[in-house]
Amino acid sequence: MARQKVAKRSEIAPGTTLRVVVDDCEILLCDVDGELHAIEDVCTHDGGPLDQGELEGRCVVCPRHGATFDVCTGEALTLPAVVPLMTFAVSVEGDDVYVDA
Amino acid sequence: MATKLDPSVSPQGLIEDYRHGFHDAENYVFKSGKGLTREIVERISSMKDEPAWMRDFRLKAYELFLSKPMPAWGDTARLAEIDFADLHYFVKSTDKTERSWDDVPEDIKRTFDRLGIPEAERKFLSGVSAQYESEVVYHNTSKALDDQGVLFCDMDTAVKKYPDILQKYFATVIPPGDNKFASLNSAVWSGGSFIYVPPGIEVAMPLQAYFRINAENMGQFERTLIIADKGAKVHYIEGCTAPKFSTSSLHSAVVELIAEEGASIRYTTIQNWYRNIFNLVTKRAIAQKNATVEWVDGNLGSRLTMKYPAIYLMGEGARGEILSMAFAGEGQHQDAGAKVIHVAPNTTSVVTNKSVSAHGGKTTYRGLVEIFPGAVGAKTHVRCDALIMDEESSSDTKPTMKIHEQRSTVEHEASVSKIGEDQLFYAMSRGLSEVDATAMIVNGFFDFFVKELPMEYAVELNRLVKMEMEGAVG
Repeated sequence: MARQKVAKRSEIAPGTTLRVVVDDCEILLCDVDGELHAIEDVCTHDGGPLDQGELEGRCVVCPRHGATFDVCTGEALTLPAVVPLMTFAVSVEGDDVYVDA
Repeated sequence: MATKLDPSVSPQGLIEDYRHGFHDAENYVFKSGKGLTREIVERISSMKDEPAWMRDFRLKAYELFLSKPMPAWGDTARLAEIDFADLHYFVKSTDKTERSWDDVPEDIKRTFDRLGIPEAERKFLSGVSAQYESEVVYHNTSKALDDQGVLFCDMDTAVKKYPDILQKYFATVIPPGDNKFASLNSAVWSGGSFIYVPPGIEVAMPLQAYFRINAENMGQFERTLIIADKGAKVHYIEGCTAPKFSTSSLHSAVVELIAEEGASIRYTTIQNWYRNIFNLVTKRAIAQKNATVEWVDGNLGSRLTMKYPAIYLMGEGARGEILSMAFAGEGQHQDAGAKVIHVAPNTTSVVTNKSVSAHGGKTTYRGLVEIFPGAVGAKTHVRCDALIMDEESSSDTKPTMKIHEQRSTVEHEASVSKIGEDQLFYAMSRGLSEVDATAMIVNGFFDFFVKELPMEYAVELNRLVKMEMEGAVG
């Protein structure tokens, strides 16, 4: 999948997330202090989505077992997750959000 | 003493039968009302005079507790018996942590005496802290530990004295959202042990704490965090017995172990709960490169125990061992097991579980071994044996193996057996009574576990098993 438009910037309020699916790839866009980050929306512990989890600063917490990930780097910060999340390059042009996946 | 239940015996009569069923008059400084509210969580935090980060942590965990469902697996029928609105979530028995044994109030001291923590043992062990109700009332760390730089105190003290270490490690192994009972513990935790062993230090003597529940309907939610820094070594022992209760009570602990590179932690616990207690505990450890973690876990009593000590082998060459035994008597379900997650190459683990069910009790072994892709050379050996004493008792074995790396070695052995007629006949032909012969065979079955215990625990466990078996025959 090449770089493509996935969402409107105005859809993502400060400190919130937006789930988008592009070419079967589940992506979570996260607004951290006004900057967008894109991670795969699949918890590496149980394979479920993270979009119902809370975004606290730069960390997203899995709603099922509490695994915490750094959305900027993908790093798994607490058990039960041990494998990092995939991250994607994200850019904003006007009100359009592009992801390189 | 017969422990087999006769329907004509009144519940009171049964309670009197229980060896550790003594009950001191309740005498508390503060006891929260029944049920859990946001106000109670805030009150616990303010009474403990905690920093804001811990208060926020508790409140967030409280919200998680409300939102999380009860487990949909395991003994759901029994889990449904827990009435969260009918429990006390915090009881404070004295208003300060006692420093010297002489200052400990008489009635509390009496309780410890009857539990059998002898004076000699206090001298013998390098540190003793005994948890009575929700807070540690007696704590004594020997000078030798201080000189080595080992930190050993109750968790409430650690939150205030060692905030840097706490914030680095606390709840990173078991986050509050892990499961409903971990959320509950995170919201209302009180007491438990904190240990930090600096790099390269080996603690020669085992560190020990004794837990006990006394107030009726009181949940006990201790929280333990043990960190062995690089190359350090420590053995921690925890023993539990509970006095009688007239209604159900909940014990829900969280135990986190962190063994840094080359470190070694052994955690030994024996729990002997009265048969109306729900014992729902989350125990998990991290072993980094070349580190070793060992859980030695004995479970007796309780209405329902759900406990699966886990080890995450995160670094190359890490080693984990889980030895556990369970005894389920009448009306009891011991749902215990082990989890080992091999994340890194050349990690090894051994799981040995033995269970006995008697007088209609039920045991379940529920285990997980997971080998991650890339954990080349991982080796694991799982063995679980169940002994069923009579027609009314039962046992289930539910092992799960998730192997994602072909270049690994996985072994699993399981057996379910009845007590051998020929073994009994042989022992009785040598002059033993049926009771003694049965007790001897069961103690032999548990021998692998007992020999790993310190002497005084080994003696007590053999005695408890024999007592349990006395009602099993004839």
